[in-house]
Amino acid sequence: MKVCPYCAHSNREGILFCEECGQVLYTEQGAATSTKRLPVGTGGLSAKGGWGTARFNQSATIMLHIRDNPSPIEVKPQQETILGRYDGSSSSTPTIDLTPFGAYENGVSRIHAAIRRGEDTLTLVDLGSVNGTHLNGQRLIPNQPRVLRDGDEIRIGKLVCHVFFKTSS
Amino acid sequence: MLDLYSVLGVKPDALEDDIRRAYRSAARRLHPDVNGHPGAANQFRDITAAHEVLTNLTERVKYDNKRRQIGTERPYFTLRVTPSARALPALNETQVLYLLIELVPDPTIDRSTTSTPLNLTLVIDHSTSMNGVRLERTKVAAHRLIDQLADSDILSVVAFSDRAEVLVKAAPMTDKNAAKTMITTIQAGGSTKIYEGLQAAYDQNRRYAGKNFANHIIFITDGRTYGDEAKCLTLAERCNEEGIGISAMGIGDEWNDVFLDQLAGITGGTSQYINSPNVVQRLLDERLRSLGQAVAERVTLSLAPDPDVIIENGFRLSPSAQPISIESDPVPIGQVLAQLPTSAIFTLQLPPLTEVGTRSLIRFAVEGDILWDRRTNYRLVADISLEVLTNPPIEEPPRIILDALSKLALYRIQQKAAEAAARGDIREATRKLETVATRLLAGGHTELANIAMAEARRLSSTHAISEEAQKALKYGTRHLLLPSEE
Repeated sequence: MKVCPYCAHSNREGILFCEECGQVLYTEQGAATSTKRLPVGTGGLSAKGGWGTARFNQSATIMLHIRDNPSPIEVKPQQETILGRYDGSSSSTPTIDLTPFGAYENGVSRIHAAIRRGEDTLTLVDLGSVNGTHLNGQRLIPNQPRVLRDGDEIRIGKLVCHVFFKTSS
Repeated sequence: MLDLYSVLGVKPDALEDDIRRAYRSAARRLHPDVNGHPGAANQFRDITAAHEVLTNLTERVKYDNKRRQIGTERPYFTLRVTPSARALPALNETQVLYLLIELVPDPTIDRSTTSTPLNLTLVIDHSTSMNGVRLERTKVAAHRLIDQLADSDILSVVAFSDRAEVLVKAAPMTDKNAAKTMITTIQAGGSTKIYEGLQAAYDQNRRYAGKNFANHIIFITDGRTYGDEAKCLTLAERCNEEGIGISAMGIGDEWNDVFLDQLAGITGGTSQYINSPNVVQRLLDERLRSLGQAVAERVTLSLAPDPDVIIENGFRLSPSAQPISIESDPVPIGQVLAQLPTSAIFTLQLPPLTEVGTRSLIRFAVEGDILWDRRTNYRLVADISLEVLTNPPIEEPPRIILDALSKLALYRIQQKAAEAAARGDIREATRKLETVATRLLAGGHTELANIAMAEARRLSSTHAISEEAQKALKYGTRHLLLPSEE
C-alpha cells in the first residue's frame, strides 16, 4: 500500500499516479532511498531528504516547534484543531491562539488553518487565510486538505513552525 | 500462414519432447478449465492447433516444407511490450503493473507511393440542427474528400435524419462530379435517428466489403439518437465481424459522446469531438490519409492473462486516444499506420507474489491484414514474464509510461468528476474538477485548466453540469495523450 501524500488515498503497490487525485507517487520511493543531503534553508524554502511517517496513532500528540521560541507547544489534536489569532473582539476563537508568538506581525489570520484528524493520519487545511499556509514550502490551496507528516515544516503567514509526532508508548 | 513454432515459443529445430513440454506449460495457463478469460480461450485454440501439427511427424514435415518455400517473411510490423517495472517485488498483497504495447511498422516500408484501395461510406446527418454552417462545411469537406479519391476507390454517400437516403450508391469513383452534385442537394430537416443512417451505410458498404479493400464508414452527426442505441451497437458488432470499420465525428455539444465512443470502439475506429464546423475538413483529410496509407488493416489484439492476473482496463494512446473495451476478445485496434505509432496501455492487477523467480503474466497475440502486399492474417505473439525479487532495485519507471499515465490520470479524474455530477454528488464533482484544474495548471495546460475551474465554479453555484465544458474537458484531456504534432 502507498498512501498518497496529497489526498491520503490508499493506493495499491505499483500504482504510479494516485487513483483519486492523480498525484505522482513514484518519486517518494526514490527519495526515501536517496543518500544525497539536500541543503536546508536555501532561498527561503527548506528542503528535506525524505518524508517522515504519516501514521498518527489515536494516543499520539503533536509537538509544535515555533521558530525562535525555545519551548514547543504540545497539542492533543481534536477532530479539528484551528490555528489562528484571537483578537478579543471576534466571535470565533481558534483552538490554538498564536498571538504570543507574534501572530499579528507575521500575518496570521484569525481563523487561519486547521489540523484535522483522519483515521490514522492528520491533515492540514488552509481555511481561506489572507496570507496563505505553506506545507514544506508549497502553498496550500484553500480547503484542500494535505496529509501531515512527522517533521513537516508548516508556514502560517510568515510564522514558521515544525511539527513532530510524539507517540506515548 | 501462422508460425506454429512462435505460437508455442519453441525453436524450429525443437525436439518433440520440448514441443510437448511447451504445450503443457502453456495449456496450464490457458485451458478453459483454469482460465475463464475469453482471450485465454482464443489463444488456447492456437496452441492446441500448433501442438497437433508439430507432434504429428508427417504433418510437421509437410508444414516445415511449406515454411521453407515461403522463406523468411519480412516483418511488416513488430510488437513491443514495455512494463512499468523490470522486476516485481515479492509481496503479500496485490500489486499493479502497467504494460505499454506498441505496434511498430518496419522502417523500410514506404507507404507514400502506393495507396490501399478504399471502400468508403460517408454518412451525413442532415437533421434540422445541422442547418447552416454545420451542414455547409460538411458538404465542402465531403467535396474535398471526393477529389482526393482514386478512380478505383469505392464511395457511397448516405444522408439521414428520421430516415436514410442513399445519395450515391457504392461504386468506383469514376464520375466525381455526379457524386458532388448529389451532396450539394442535401437539405436540413427532421430529427436524428442514427440507426437508420448506419443501417443504410452498412448495406452500401458491404457490397464491396472484402479482404481487398480498407472498408470504412465515416459518420458525421450533431445529435443524440433515442431508443435505438442497442440496435446500433449490434450492427456495429456485425460490421466488425465483416471487416468494416466505423469512425464517428460529433459536431457541437448535443451528441451522445459515450455512445459514439462505444460505436466506433467496437470496430477499432475512432470518435472525435468537433467543436467548430471549420475542423470537419481537416479531420476528414486526416482520416482519409490514415486509411489510405496504413501498413496493416483490421488489426486485433488478443489478451490472455494468467488465471490469477486481472486486466483492469486498457486505453489506446495513439493514433487516437480512447478507452478500450476489454470485455470481449480479441480487441479491435483498427489500423497500424506508417507515420504514427500505434500504442495502448493496460493496467494489470497481480495477485500476491510470494515465490521468487520468473513469473509468467500475460500472452498477447496480434493479427492483421497487410492489404498492399496481399498478405492476410499476419500474426505476432508475445509472452510476458517478469522476475520476482525480494528486494528489487528501485528505478524510475520508463519515461514513456510515466508520460502516458500522468496524462491518463487527468482524463480519469475528469471522468470521475463527470460520473459524480451525473450521480448528483455535486460536492465530490466540484472537488474533482478543482483537482483536475490544479494538475492541468501544473502541467502548463492553462486553457483547459481555466475550463475546469470555470466548470467547478459553475457546478457549485448552479448544481448543473454544462455539456459543452464536459465534452471540452473529456476530449481535451484525451487529446493531451496524443503525440504532439510535428
